[in-house]
Amino acid sequence: MSAGDPLWYKDAVIYQLHVKTFFDSDGDGVGDFKGLTSKLDYLEALGVNTLWLLPTFPSPFRDDGYDIADYYSIHPMYGTMDDFTVFLAAAHQRGLRVVTELVLNHTSDKHPWFQEARSSRDSPRRDWYVWSDTDDRYRGVRIIFLDTETSNWAWDPISKQYYWHRFFSHQPDLNYDNPAVREEMWRVMQFWAGLGVDGFRVDAVPYLVEREGTTCEGMPETHEVIRYLRAQLDAHFPGRMLLAEANQVPELVRPYFGNGDEFHMAFHFPLMTRMFMAIRLEDRGPLADIIRRTPVLPDTCQWAVFLRNHDELTLEMVTPEEREFMYDEYARDPAARLNLGIRRRLAPLLDGDRRRVELMNGLLMSLPGSPIVYYGDEIGMGDNVYLGDRNGVRTPMQWSGGWNGGFSSADPEQLAFAMISNPVYGYQAVNVLAQERTGHSLLNWMRRLIRVRRSTRVFSRGTLTLLDPPNQRVLAYVRTFEKEQVLIVNNLSGTVQAVELDLSSLAGAIPVEMFGQSLFPRIGTQPYLLTLGPHAFYWFRLRRL
Amino acid sequence: MADETLLSDDLLRQLVAVGHVDVLVGIPTLNNANTVVEVVRAAQVGIATYFPRARSLIFNADSGSDDGTPALVRDATTHDTGTVTASRPLRTTQRISTPYHGLPGKGSALRMIFAVADLLSAGAVVALDPDVTSVTPDWIPALVRPVRDGHADIVAPLYPRAAADGPLVTQLVRPLVRAAYGWRLQEPLMGEFGCSPRFATHCLERPAWGSGIPDGVDLWMTGEALANGFKPAQAALGPRRLAHTRKRPGLPDVFQQVMDAMCACLELHSAYWLARGPAEAVPCVGTLPGAIDLGPRPDAAGMALAFTRDVAALHPVLATILSDATLAGVTAAAAAPGPLSYPDDLWAATVFEFLLAYHRAVMTREHVTQTLLPLYLGRTASFLLQYGSSSPSVVYDALESLGQAFEQAKPQAAAQWKKA
Repeated sequence: MSAGDPLWYKDAVIYQLHVKTFFDSDGDGVGDFKGLTSKLDYLEALGVNTLWLLPTFPSPFRDDGYDIADYYSIHPMYGTMDDFTVFLAAAHQRGLRVVTELVLNHTSDKHPWFQEARSSRDSPRRDWYVWSDTDDRYRGVRIIFLDTETSNWAWDPISKQYYWHRFFSHQPDLNYDNPAVREEMWRVMQFWAGLGVDGFRVDAVPYLVEREGTTCEGMPETHEVIRYLRAQLDAHFPGRMLLAEANQVPELVRPYFGNGDEFHMAFHFPLMTRMFMAIRLEDRGPLADIIRRTPVLPDTCQWAVFLRNHDELTLEMVTPEEREFMYDEYARDPAARLNLGIRRRLAPLLDGDRRRVELMNGLLMSLPGSPIVYYGDEIGMGDNVYLGDRNGVRTPMQWSGGWNGGFSSADPEQLAFAMISNPVYGYQAVNVLAQERTGHSLLNWMRRLIRVRRSTRVFSRGTLTLLDPPNQRVLAYVRTFEKEQVLIVNNLSGTVQAVELDLSSLAGAIPVEMFGQSLFPRIGTQPYLLTLGPHAFYWFRLRRL
Repeated sequence: MADETLLSDDLLRQLVAVGHVDVLVGIPTLNNANTVVEVVRAAQVGIATYFPRARSLIFNADSGSDDGTPALVRDATTHDTGTVTASRPLRTTQRISTPYHGLPGKGSALRMIFAVADLLSAGAVVALDPDVTSVTPDWIPALVRPVRDGHADIVAPLYPRAAADGPLVTQLVRPLVRAAYGWRLQEPLMGEFGCSPRFATHCLERPAWGSGIPDGVDLWMTGEALANGFKPAQAALGPRRLAHTRKRPGLPDVFQQVMDAMCACLELHSAYWLARGPAEAVPCVGTLPGAIDLGPRPDAAGMALAFTRDVAALHPVLATILSDATLAGVTAAAAAPGPLSYPDDLWAATVFEFLLAYHRAVMTREHVTQTLLPLYLGRTASFLLQYGSSSPSVVYDALESLGQAFEQAKPQAAAQWKKA
């Protein structure tokens, strides 16, 4: 599968899923690889071409699997290694690439490496983690999980020293100043790439290396580690992809692409936040601003764009006024707030408004970058903010209106996470089966959207030229790739809008609406008048005939 | 609604792009290049700081400036000076500068602003004077919030005034509006104001636009608001200073304009004010600073001298306007030795009797007004001689007494007005 176009990730439409909550094949209440394999036809029909799996490693599950206790196997509750390889082959057979998690920064405190390291100050693994006699090293470094942690240091009562952790205190940071650590991680990558994994989503990238007197984020030595791993991957597994999680503004994420020799891809976090902001403000300002601020990437690199994922909707990169606005608009219930973010899914965030859900997906699929669809959002699933941490957006996939929403035959009490069961978003109301039987369902609409998106490379590889119409409620841009051009016009507001576009540079082109193939009048030198319904958007392929 | 010829197609195209706004700041201009940029910036920063989530429009109606005012309005930014914005607006603050046609003057400009507000369903409207150099960003919330909170339809400004500051307002317009319209409004000549869309639409629909009202539009708006049941409020702004670079009309012209407007309003709203009882307080938002700039001291002695001289010269004319008692009082004041004293009750009676003369048209109205001017100078001189160096609280009390004197004089004046 990894043969072929080495830039495949630029054309990827990624589906992010949690094996744990996708489909349970053996009735134990937990999703598994056999279950996932049985649902590959569904994913193929949806039109995505890449799957990103949340961690499936052995873990004590104090951070839903991001606290890894063994990098070389999968947790038994998800199945066997054979189940995994069967899944991988079946996915590849359908043209689906698979991206797995690579948590470089930290392990679980239950990982044998840490257990060995803490057993004695003389342990050979001691230097695999970051230790200190005091908790005043790296003072001033921000605490990420503000709601649960008060320090980046935790006391180890066994070896009687503090250990460094940027996330939960049960997730000690690995010490990348130790060459043995990076070698071990390369071995981990070889293991999974050797099985056929097409790429790695690398967790918490900026925090690998610490230096006194700095923010301990994005250190030059961190980039050295990345370049090393990338070079090794290219040399031994060409065509595999590295995707960075660096929750920062695009200017600060840009260095993680290096000169095309670090990450192939990185998430564009602020674009996501600004999309939500713009649609509530009904003003393109925040979105146009971040688009303008987004730096150009090396030719071989690509942004990963998304609306929602398994974490909270981050509000780290907004002003206090903007954060207050976002909380007011999207998280009036304080239970929906977590750290500096909002733990909600797409549909409830948008009040279940189909038009807004469609517009947001339209933006996702038409802005530069490879889009990621979070499992369940294609049918408008809801969330449960009362499940704690971020588990409320990781509830079981709703396949049908039957027992446990078709997710599992186990007793409901046995499920990994309780099903959403309220009358609005519950599995009885929102499920795949019902939506597959309804032509105008969100699921079928999403299938069409993805099909149109993938019908041309202009969306995945094209440049973007932002238009500046006087109507601020309208966001319009032109995507260009080779000889192909697409004009995209989005009405961010909930009311009908008229907009005049200066398309004189496109004079002579005939706009053809891409969903219905409807022809529009030829573009001339005068302002081009369009009217758009509430939250409507148009994608016009520009033909020159 | 809006006159079909009021908004040009080009302006309409721009308004289509703007859509509904929560806050509309209107700035009528005519050759205000020296000052307008700071006014626009104050509006921008005010919106950004206090209404960062609002849909907003700064709308400039220009009466044909030839000094580049419209371009300055369009290009003014908060970035090219040391302006500090505590926050930035979440939504884009739109800006339009457009010429208007028809009668030049503030009235036509305000009419256009009201039309735009009506068309865009503005949540609140603010009008700023482009000549004011002391405008600050916090004037915007002061004028907007009472409207947005539903507490007021019209928000008049409140400026800290020294005894010598604005005597035409303090000695004439304020007490007269108080007595006639029954509201203790401090600044009836609203240089700046905020208003509700309901009031903007009301004004827009009045037939008065074609009949000369625009010359005294500030006073007309005040009268329209008070006479038609719109809820008034006052917003404490800072001191009001105007640019000295502009050539302004002399006192006789201003006095004539104000008197014409005042009399026209009283004619227009006679049904209301003749039936209106004692004055009510107008709710005030904010507090004025305790200390105020006394500013230049007018020549009270010169004014007193002119009063004494002109009363003697105009005695035959005054006799056709004033009652015997009032004429005697005025004559005695002019003839009395020592510092001039023109008591409150005498001044109140004088003003009402002149208004009756104006109403009855005992002579040309211009002549009536010109005859009142020296008496106004005498009253102003009297007040300044007595309170020119007094503290703000003493001045306030003195002006309050003056207002009460006007209220006491009103019933008799109203009865005579009805007879006439």
